[in-house]
Amino acid sequence: MKRYDMIVVGAGPAGLSAAIEAARRGLRVVVYDENEKPGGQLFKQIHKFFGSKEHKAKIRGFKIGEELLSEAAALGVEVVLNAIVIGLFREKEITVKIGESVEHIKGDTVLIATGASENMVTFPGWTLPGVIGAGAAQTMMNLHGILPGQRVLMLGSGNVGLVVSFQLMQAGCEVVALADAAPRVGGYGVHASKVARCGVPFYLSHTIISADGDDHVTGVTIGEVDKSWKIIPGTEKHFDVDTICLAVGLSPMSKLCDMAGCEMEDNPAKAGFVPKTDKFGETSVAGIYAAGDVSGIEEASSAMIEGRIAGIAAAARLGFITVEERDDEAAKQEAALDGLRKGMFAPGMRGKAISETEEGVPLSQSLLNHGFVADDEIERFPGVTHSKGIHPVIECTQNIPCNPCQDACPKHCIRVGSNITALPSIDPEVKCTGCGMCVASCSGQAIFLVNEDCGDGTAEVTLPYEFLPLPQKGDKGTALSRSGEAVCSAEVVGVRSTKAFDHTNLLTMKVPAEFAMKARFFRRED
Amino acid sequence: MNADVIIIGSGIIGCSAAYNLAKNGVSVIVLEGSGNIGNGGSVRNGGGVRQSGRDPRELPLVMYAIKNIWPKLSEMLDTNVEYHRQGNLRLGRDERHREILQGLTDRAVKGGLDVKMISGDEAREINPYLSDEVYCASWCPTDGHANPLMATMGYYKMARRLGAHFISDERVTEIRKIKGAARQVITASGNVYEGDKIILSAGYESRYIASTVGIDVPMQQVLLEALVTEAVAPMFWQMLGTADADFYGHQTDHGSFVFGLNSGYEPYAKPGKPLSSSIAASAACRGIMRYFPSLKDIKVVRSWAGWMDSCADHVPVISNVDEVPGLILACGFSGHGFGIAPTVGLLLSQLAMEQETVLDISAFRYDRF
Amino acid sequence: MNDRSRDIGEFIPAPDDDMIVCRCEEITKGEIRRAVHDGMFTLTEIRRYLRTGMGLCQGQTCTKLVKGIVARELGVRPDELEPATGRAPMRPIEMRILAKDGEGTK
Repeated sequence: MKRYDMIVVGAGPAGLSAAIEAARRGLRVVVYDENEKPGGQLFKQIHKFFGSKEHKAKIRGFKIGEELLSEAAALGVEVVLNAIVIGLFREKEITVKIGESVEHIKGDTVLIATGASENMVTFPGWTLPGVIGAGAAQTMMNLHGILPGQRVLMLGSGNVGLVVSFQLMQAGCEVVALADAAPRVGGYGVHASKVARCGVPFYLSHTIISADGDDHVTGVTIGEVDKSWKIIPGTEKHFDVDTICLAVGLSPMSKLCDMAGCEMEDNPAKAGFVPKTDKFGETSVAGIYAAGDVSGIEEASSAMIEGRIAGIAAAARLGFITVEERDDEAAKQEAALDGLRKGMFAPGMRGKAISETEEGVPLSQSLLNHGFVADDEIERFPGVTHSKGIHPVIECTQNIPCNPCQDACPKHCIRVGSNITALPSIDPEVKCTGCGMCVASCSGQAIFLVNEDCGDGTAEVTLPYEFLPLPQKGDKGTALSRSGEAVCSAEVVGVRSTKAFDHTNLLTMKVPAEFAMKARFFRRED
Repeated sequence: MNADVIIIGSGIIGCSAAYNLAKNGVSVIVLEGSGNIGNGGSVRNGGGVRQSGRDPRELPLVMYAIKNIWPKLSEMLDTNVEYHRQGNLRLGRDERHREILQGLTDRAVKGGLDVKMISGDEAREINPYLSDEVYCASWCPTDGHANPLMATMGYYKMARRLGAHFISDERVTEIRKIKGAARQVITASGNVYEGDKIILSAGYESRYIASTVGIDVPMQQVLLEALVTEAVAPMFWQMLGTADADFYGHQTDHGSFVFGLNSGYEPYAKPGKPLSSSIAASAACRGIMRYFPSLKDIKVVRSWAGWMDSCADHVPVISNVDEVPGLILACGFSGHGFGIAPTVGLLLSQLAMEQETVLDISAFRYDRF
Repeated sequence: MNDRSRDIGEFIPAPDDDMIVCRCEEITKGEIRRAVHDGMFTLTEIRRYLRTGMGLCQGQTCTKLVKGIVARELGVRPDELEPATGRAPMRPIEMRILAKDGEGTK
């Protein structure tokens, strides 16, 4: 029977990272993936990733996928696509359907990196065509170039709901509302802010009452819920939509681990039924590892590090490196993983109510309740300062593990420090040149360049802009506030797109000076 | 905790005994070692309710069930057990197969069963989906199949409704004699259950439990494997088997096909949790394709494995134990307990109530070995 | 030990009982709730009795939903209910393809 040093099931971030680390140390590795394209969820992620520079921050997800793939290929990893692993049997034997045939392959080690599947919620009409998972919407748009619908309601304010809402708008859909039964926005505030300033209303403490339609969705009714999740009569709101997107969490797709006889646990902190693993990702079955969402739902950046650790551990198990080397190399990865697991969105913080940042700044309640920082809250954050001439305004208000902005400024005026979750602050001594690198580097699109007083009663606001068609210099339109309300008229005075910005265009608009700290988005007049 | 009868094992045998006892107003406690009711062979078998191919000693049991119980079981249990009595085709492709089938047929006819040999063409008339390779078959028109999941859970549901007290996650470690009679059942959690009669119907595990009162039933664990397909429109209702026994199965009311598998390596399965092998489903599909090529595009959605308690002579033990008064054995069903379970439950209830049994069960005595 | 005769209260009909929960097998919320009252206290038993999660998707969509409904009916936390066993094939596979097993490697 064909045998490899390592069989990897799933060519997503965890699987590819493990394959790379294992192959680099001399293992013969094969990766099977059931999809026609590798990369797992990465290839659907068109936004820039958070994290540290060492771990692919500010690179767009699909680019990370491409990098991992070419790295794996260069190391001789076999990546077999359209390959459905049917089962994982005794003696670490897998059967895999490739094309029209079934093959049996053994692995001296096996990494299960099968990822997750989308959760659903039920409401009358939830089975109508037009009710789809947010991940499915992403697949349609970003892999297949198909619009899921014209008018969409998003349920779920976690990162998936927020990111996909933004992508739906980028693809040309209208997102009529974003609802969540929870009383607070679940995902990163910066993701929420970029959706809110486009004019999407947030309905927290709201859930779907029903979807309308006979053979497809024609509308949706939401309502406010009380503390026991019951609808409060009289709070119903109706929207005409053709699509309802559900972003209500993911569940580990751990069936293969269960079948292989790995000891399992139902762990709410890991969002479901997962194999028990040691710190190297090894399950209770010696030589079978699990990494990525299958062993607990987290961000892709964590999945990549988990995969790397499992790849290193498998190399040690098979004698390609020593145990000391393993411990040494895994420790470095673990340190990075610990960094990513810090901050207010860390897995350990789930369900905890936080009232202030690590720096002691009270959190923006408006951000949590409505998706945007209120005008009277924004000034208290360290990235928001005022000075003469052009200067950055960093509207980063929550402790998330991300620091590319720190290295983006050629003048080193932005500081995050060694604690990757710290809020960025600005060195007032350094003169901003207005190069815009910080604006483009911010994965949360939370950095603006503002010249509060151009001397003629106007101000200039430079903002990250990722929509098509791109406005042109001289275009007139409306400036929108952080909440997406029209605040004043605005004129585009510059649009910059350079390779270094990686498709984040910098749009500079001129607004009346009193709106310098209010205007945060531009809408062209149609 | 006390009851008139303590039943160890909640398979279809235990559940059907509990149902028959509860219906007669006898108080019953049923102890299940695993987390799920009917977790062994009862919910893992292929659902055959057949007489053909059966050991002559078991024939009266299954004939009684087919005549008196299976046809009204859905009504009795307020559960659609999906019973079909539309015949059993045991198929052969060559002369060697014909000889095997002829032997089985002759034996069954001697036992009073309506079964006969038919040609390939006659078989294709009964089931037009059969391939041209089919050369002969045995045909028993009164055989059939039912849904093992529904029958087992139906017996459980109705027994429970009638007051039988089921407790799962309660693994029995010992039967204890009190003053010469089996009276107490002790579990891993330390609980003690006491009854006038103890029915031991725990599959292969019965062997370990019986040994605590000095009784052994010679049996071994043999793996059975099965698969189920997606649902398709109804095609046929016969129960199917082959002379080579490389697969057996039927289409269910739901539309899916359930097939029992046989790769030939089942007797060598490793002990412990029953795990599917990597080859059985494929081996069976190869067999199925030769007989039913039109099923080729139907998708397999799930496969599973289970343990059979295979008795030394492939016939169960259904018996009082003379040396251990109060103990009633019901084990060693050897992979064909499902079809006879309704009768066995009735017989066990009669043994427990010290009534005359409706059939002679002397062939199933514990001390025959 | 799991006492199947413990009091879980009466079955009370609810307005959303006719809502489909398992799409593949078209099993409603009411059927699931009623099955619990008929003694099906585990997800495996519900599955065997009702076919929830036994269709083409093998429970990928409804497992968590069914779990929530059963847990609520029994008055326990969802994570106290053990999910049904993972079994091959991980994705539905045509019989003709399974039958060709090994042909490519021999």
